[in-house]
Amino acid sequence: MKINDTLPLEYRTEENSNKIFGFWLFLGAEIALFSTLFAVYFTLWNRTGSGPTGKELFEVGGVIWETFLLLTSSFTCGLGIHAMRLGLKKPMMIFFIVTLLMGLGFLGIEITEFVNYVHEGATLQTSAFLSSLFVLLGTHGLHVTMGILWGAGILIQVGRQGFTPETANKSFIFSLYWHFLDVVWIFIFSFVYMKGLM
Amino acid sequence: MARLFPIRHVMGYIFSLVLSLVALGVIYWDLTFAAAMVILIISALIQASLQLVLFMHIGETDSKKTLYLNIAYAVFVGVVTIFGTLFAMIWGY
Repeated sequence: MKINDTLPLEYRTEENSNKIFGFWLFLGAEIALFSTLFAVYFTLWNRTGSGPTGKELFEVGGVIWETFLLLTSSFTCGLGIHAMRLGLKKPMMIFFIVTLLMGLGFLGIEITEFVNYVHEGATLQTSAFLSSLFVLLGTHGLHVTMGILWGAGILIQVGRQGFTPETANKSFIFSLYWHFLDVVWIFIFSFVYMKGLM
Repeated sequence: MARLFPIRHVMGYIFSLVLSLVALGVIYWDLTFAAAMVILIISALIQASLQLVLFMHIGETDSKKTLYLNIAYAVFVGVVTIFGTLFAMIWGY
């Protein structure tokens, strides 16, 4: 096996660099996926029928917390990878645990928000606006949920095996995914919530 | 402790918080729709680039040209999807 020592641990075998490259291609496909959901939302956002409009429904407090949690979790995830490259296992694990806890906090707020919407009579079936909103937010929320499970699995492996080319590779790919979810949220924050509350 | 918090990451984080606050401003400042959209688009694009370059290390290996091209192509597909849909469904053709 050819090993290139000039690169960080997670890139060193050819297979591992290919995995990282392949994950970037996957993220390209994710951009296309979320674009279709945004396209649907932008087409239907004022088709509110007899249901509430975004301006009546959205609450800025929860959205600010969600944004703060996701931005901060993206930061701690980056710090986790930085610690991993320094070979520091314990700090890396702490940063990743903080990342996942903030992801859970984000999900908690989002789920509470959805429950509140439904109590206000704003369900998936109420209007085209709400269908497209729930699908867009729900797809992002599902990604965050998957990310939390995935990250927890990787943490267990890092805890057991320490940093090997495999666990380092998995951790780095997870970090790409998590940062990407933050990018998607930035667009949801700006073009769903801020535009909707204007 | 300090080496766990590299200055680039900390600055990037603070900068993204500031950009989020700027985006938040559009609901409090009295802006025209066009001005607000310009602010939202610019702040979102800067924040997305921050994540890509700073936290995702898009440019750290020899394959960076391919990675940038891949993201650029994906963004192109996304922009065509969104604006093509708006063009056909909303702006009236």
